Amino acid sequence: MTDSRDSHCPYCALQCAMTLTPTDAAGGTAPIDIAAPAGARRLPLTVAGRDFPTNRGGLCKKGWTSAELLDVDDRVTRPLVRQADGSFAPASWDEVLDRIADTVRDSRSRFGADSVGVFGGGGLTNEKAYQLGKFARIALGTSRIDYNGRFCMSSAAAAGNRAFGLDRGLPFPVEDLDGASTILMLGSNVAATMPPFIGHLQGARGDGGLIVVDPRRSETAKLTDEGQGVHLAPAPGTDLIVLLGLTHIVITEGLADLDYLATRTTGFDAVRRSANAWWPERVQQVTGVPIAQLREVARRLADGRGTYILTGRGVEQHVDGTDTATAAINLALVLGLVGKPGSGYGTLTGQGNGQGGREHGQKSDQLPGYRMITDPAARAHVAGVWGVDPSIIPGPGVPAVALLDELGRPGGIRCLFVHGSNVVVSAPDVDAVRAGLRSLELLVVSDFVLSETARLADIVLPVTQWAEEEGTMTSLEGRVIRRRRAIDPPGEARSELWIMRELAERLGAPGTWSIEPADVFDELARASAGGKADYSGLSHALLDTGIAAHWPFPAGSEGTPRMFGERFAHPDGLARMVAVSPRVREPLGQHGGELTLVTGRLLEHYQSGAQTRRVPELLGARPHVTAQLHPATASRLGIAEGDPIEVANTRGLVRARAEVTTGIRLDTVFLPFHFAGEQCANLLTERAVDPVSSMPEFKRTLVTVTRADATQEVVPA
Amino acid sequence: MNAHVSPAGAASSHAGPTRVVLIGYGPVGARFVEELLPSVASGAVALTVLGAEAHDAYNRVLVGEYAVGRAARERLDVIDTAAARAAGVDVRLGEAVVGIDRSRQVVRTHHDTRVPYDRLVFATGARANVPTLAGLERTTRHRLARAATAAELDRGERALPTGVVALRDLDDAETVRAAVAGRKRIVVLGAGVLGMEAALAASEQGAEVVVVHHGDVPMERNLDHGAGRLLARAARAGGTETLPHSRAEEVLFRHGERGERVFEALQCADGKQVPGDLLVLSCGVAPRIELAASCDLAIERGVLVDEELRSWTDPAVFAIGDCAQVAARGSAGPDGRVGGGPAGLIGPGWRQADALAARLGAEAIGGDPAGVPFAEERPAVVMLKAEGVDVVSGGDVSADPFDEPEASGAEPGHAAGCAVHGVSAREVTVWADPAHGAYAKMVTRGGVLEGFVAVGMPRTGAELTLLFERGNELPADRSVLLRLDSDDAGVVSTTDPFAPDATVCWCNGVSVERITDAAAAGDRTVECVGRSTRAGTGCGSCKGRITELIARTPEAAPAVPVA
Repeated sequence: MTDSRDSHCPYCALQCAMTLTPTDAAGGTAPIDIAAPAGARRLPLTVAGRDFPTNRGGLCKKGWTSAELLDVDDRVTRPLVRQADGSFAPASWDEVLDRIADTVRDSRSRFGADSVGVFGGGGLTNEKAYQLGKFARIALGTSRIDYNGRFCMSSAAAAGNRAFGLDRGLPFPVEDLDGASTILMLGSNVAATMPPFIGHLQGARGDGGLIVVDPRRSETAKLTDEGQGVHLAPAPGTDLIVLLGLTHIVITEGLADLDYLATRTTGFDAVRRSANAWWPERVQQVTGVPIAQLREVARRLADGRGTYILTGRGVEQHVDGTDTATAAINLALVLGLVGKPGSGYGTLTGQGNGQGGREHGQKSDQLPGYRMITDPAARAHVAGVWGVDPSIIPGPGVPAVALLDELGRPGGIRCLFVHGSNVVVSAPDVDAVRAGLRSLELLVVSDFVLSETARLADIVLPVTQWAEEEGTMTSLEGRVIRRRRAIDPPGEARSELWIMRELAERLGAPGTWSIEPADVFDELARASAGGKADYSGLSHALLDTGIAAHWPFPAGSEGTPRMFGERFAHPDGLARMVAVSPRVREPLGQHGGELTLVTGRLLEHYQSGAQTRRVPELLGARPHVTAQLHPATASRLGIAEGDPIEVANTRGLVRARAEVTTGIRLDTVFLPFHFAGEQCANLLTERAVDPVSSMPEFKRTLVTVTRADATQEVVPA
Repeated sequence: MNAHVSPAGAASSHAGPTRVVLIGYGPVGARFVEELLPSVASGAVALTVLGAEAHDAYNRVLVGEYAVGRAARERLDVIDTAAARAAGVDVRLGEAVVGIDRSRQVVRTHHDTRVPYDRLVFATGARANVPTLAGLERTTRHRLARAATAAELDRGERALPTGVVALRDLDDAETVRAAVAGRKRIVVLGAGVLGMEAALAASEQGAEVVVVHHGDVPMERNLDHGAGRLLARAARAGGTETLPHSRAEEVLFRHGERGERVFEALQCADGKQVPGDLLVLSCGVAPRIELAASCDLAIERGVLVDEELRSWTDPAVFAIGDCAQVAARGSAGPDGRVGGGPAGLIGPGWRQADALAARLGAEAIGGDPAGVPFAEERPAVVMLKAEGVDVVSGGDVSADPFDEPEASGAEPGHAAGCAVHGVSAREVTVWADPAHGAYAKMVTRGGVLEGFVAVGMPRTGAELTLLFERGNELPADRSVLLRLDSDDAGVVSTTDPFAPDATVCWCNGVSVERITDAAAAGDRTVECVGRSTRAGTGCGSCKGRITELIARTPEAAPAVPVA
């Protein structure tokens, strides 16, 4: 049985285990916060790392300082209503809930149910995510629900579903990586994003087998130094071609696992032909990765001593992100890695509940249990659990970028609920998003701080966070874990479950609306029964025994730590190999200050920064946005370390400080996406999306970089 | 122009799908078919493919590797013809087009069947040149002679004698394959990129190879003297002999068992004879344009098409790949010459196939093909495919770093070398380290590459290729590019793991300096350092380094003695 103080970190999908010790409960003898500055204020609780397979007692800087989140200055503790002068004034819960219900009812009757939209988040607990999907479908009656995971996991999820018939980020426990000899990481900077994960790379590093593919010499790429592996630095957006090239070499050098391909997959022939078009010389020509490196990596991957291939957002957040993840899967299948002991393919989920958040109905086309909303059997099953007629469940809605495009448009969304998302920082082309939010009849944002999105709201609803609530999260390894309440929420903050019940009642919604997370979980478990992400054998009580509960966990089972050992989740049990080829033209003719913008993360910040920018130690280390430039590029543009610069294109302009580093390609500029206002990288990104997953293009944007005080004088070449 | 041709834009002169006829089923034609499949599957397009070769389409670029046994036949596959057929494409192999009636929009094949079209696409490719040499009389095909059957598509009046091949198709490859497997002596005539690739690959696989060419250095069209010298040196080190300044004059034969002529030696103008078991002719290729010429389409070196790949002459006719000469309509000079010509490379051909399929697909459903991007012309990059020899070049690399600045034709009267109205001077940068097999040249104007070559510098070569193809501006400090292949490339800032600002603990972003400060202040264990700095409290993989840092750091004398 686990301790009631045992919980997990509020941030990323590694969900490092923590022990939360309330300051009062500890009677003044709480363990001293590691490295807490002397004279620091007294926080409601202290955190300590807890031994767990993912983090083994360690925490990163974000985790160690996470208690600060409970006591931020602008914590929302009462419902807030925007006044005529633009300021917020507190209001009672009844007042705001009545007003919301009235406005929604009015909008529905005049403009139809799809005039009301919901935007969810991958940080919400499973219970909240589940309830939010249900709330949208049968309390609001709208099809218009999607979530910020669309900007995160959608491409890998689409690729996984297409190939394996099922999408679980890591289809094996994360500790399996410890025994690997070779780990190929594509577009993932774990050393900054989930640092305790580095511990699982030690085996491969010790064996010289960490292979990092990243246009930047990222913190993770540096882990390959000193003979611990190889760093491939392809031109931005050419990862798909690198993968096709590796596949080509594996096949042509006779390194493919033909028995595996014959017995466990279909579609190899088409993949083989598509890879035929990418012989090494052609790959080098387009990606800039030398042939010798390609061959070395291909041979290493195939040496049969335990190889894993892992993808991250760097290769997925593209308009061809699904195809790129598919190419990584194809390579893993050609090598016969998937479902074999000691090897595999996985994608590293980003957000805290990025896995669970994508399984239980926040996605525009899905119902709980990773079921398709268009499947009549799925609709009947879920309707049965919800106690409604299947016909009242709306059909599929539209994915995030399209949903945000509908805001305020004629016939579009007039009222929007935002939960656990800061879209004016995290969505592409945020100026357009801001304009959409401003044109709404009603914007309701549930948050625990006044995030940039909350500041645009008509009504802000104060909600509980992390250490103030019960629930479950599903981590990057598909393990369902418990989040526990260590302290009471401040003021009038309420759980979203309570808010949804109140609104459901006011709207006369059918079904039951429990506010107890354990009850909601039980309902979720029933709704997921028989689905791909089956939680039906789980309950809070069972999870509290401390079992390692990897889904699918149907009733009567013991869960599934390792998947695909015998068969894949398609009806015939075979993995589907889908031939993919690059479709995207590279930008041509970068002159003057034109560069390719890639966006990403820093160690100190998380997602939109709404949380981490409120933690003094984290903000102190990274107070504002910096743009990485190569020294030669910087000197060509007359930019020195620390100079104020402008990064601009037709969509917007970002003001940043220059960080001059040899760790980036000559043609590339890097901006972290954690900052808001004129420091927001997503002022520049565009709303173009992947045709399969609807993932926006975050990592291949043409921009112009200039020194902020540069004159317009033309300097002779 | 013919009055009966349907106007551009009206894809179909009849009810039903747009009838597209593709002549040629090589790698470019196959790509076109694959890209057009969705339109065929949707019923918008009815596609007929007429390929003279009986083989399924295959990747000609890798024929050389196949010929030396380095590539399996499957590696040459580019399309699933059965799937294309299943999707509704009418693929007819071994069926040559012998006539085209543009007024009636119908082609005639050597089976005397007639296939009507709304859109006709030439992807007829190119055939190997056979040089005019004594002993090879009448084996050269006239460029405008039409074939009456599929089998004689590329054949001259007489077939090539035994022991002489032009390495172009699978049959040629089989001949070379046998010679390589038998470790025979192979004479390659021509030191272009294909000749050198074949030679290097064959010698790597154990054949004895000599390359005969009349230039000063191999790959003279693509390389400057320095790069060419290095390539010749690398080739020699790998066992391939090159004979420069050797003008071939005659092919000498012996008599075979059945009295047939069998290759014996190549006779050069300077009197030397180069004996061998097999003569591989690698003397370039010529676009197959005889069909286009026979129906009065505008031709020069290839079929003249505009940027939309549409014939200058007939809006219902298109050309892609090695047979297509893309040039702005009416761009012929005063002498009537258009200039340029097919690139002879697969990359541009595939881009053309993609673009044309997208256009015809859009047009067939009444869409706006204007929204479909062109296959933009990118400058050709030539890369030698050989193990252990890295040679890549693009554009014009003939300029010398100490050339006098050119007299500017555009701005007569201005001092040469001045940047005037955007016309900037040419700059040439060279790095030469022949003893270590490395050489690079960058020819730029306004910071953008006009030409480049890199030998023995794979990362530099790869990066220059990207910069050249994309037309991106180079760093002012060109040496940055040269250093990519150096041992310290990209790690300059992190070579010293004990530099004060080097990161030790990634999880908590703790530098060497903070740890040594803590150690100096009395934190003498990893746990103590962790408590004061958080170093080592994440994944723990840096604990060894922390221990090392503590040991290297003397403890400072305590400022305040313990009471």
